[in-house]
Amino acid sequence: MNANIAKSFALRNLFLSVAAILVTSCGTATFSKTGSDAQIESLRNFELAFIDEFAVPGKRFNAAAFDAKVNQGNAKFQQAIADEKFTARRPVLVDLKGQFDADAAHLRSKASRGKVTPGLATEMKKDVNKIYDHALGR
Amino acid sequence: MPSAGKHKRKKSSRKKSALDSVLDQVTDESVAASMKEFEDLLAQAKGDTSELIRQNAQELEERLVLLKKRKIDKEDFDFFVENQKRDLRVFVDSQPAQSQERAEKLTLHILEIAATKVVPVLIMMI
Repeated sequence: MNANIAKSFALRNLFLSVAAILVTSCGTATFSKTGSDAQIESLRNFELAFIDEFAVPGKRFNAAAFDAKVNQGNAKFQQAIADEKFTARRPVLVDLKGQFDADAAHLRSKASRGKVTPGLATEMKKDVNKIYDHALGR
Repeated sequence: MPSAGKHKRKKSSRKKSALDSVLDQVTDESVAASMKEFEDLLAQAKGDTSELIRQNAQELEERLVLLKKRKIDKEDFDFFVENQKRDLRVFVDSQPAQSQERAEKLTLHILEIAATKVVPVLIMMI
């Protein structure tokens, strides 16, 4: 009988320990995911502001300011990729970086030739918002 | 001086005939078939049960209208098509094997027809 009680206690303790580990890890995951989501939102806001700054029809192209912003963006993305705790999310960040690179290349090509069209910024921002929403699983 | 005027008239009539030949091309069987295929696929995509397919068709149509209105140019259009393709490849690959062909037809294929067949005709008509 005593052996049975001891066995029940041991099982109960084991169950409680497993439950505690699960609850703790879920909490950590939720917390980290929130941080990761915030990082993605920060990258989104950076990219939208970048488009607003340079996709302006008729605006004189300032190559130095453009390069500085692109370098800032590259550093932000590289930092976000390095800091990402969820390994499964790294490829998503790499995809977002790919979008930033493509946007920067297109904007440079258009702005440097004074060929920014009136609808460019709106449409670029639509695509940026879409890819970021997908990255966040929305 | 009169020769300059004559030259000018000649130039404008050449321009007109170029536009005419484009309009003639629309009635050309192969171009008309591509346009018909595009219209059919676009209608199917806009009525699809998948939100992503509907959204893609909607965006494509809006951007063709923007191109026609010169709010964006061909470079922009091609850039947006590449963006859409990048986004859609993941979607198509994530579909069950039996749905992949249809999904591809209503997304990537439709973008391809728009970029290669519809846009050139549209640009010539602007």
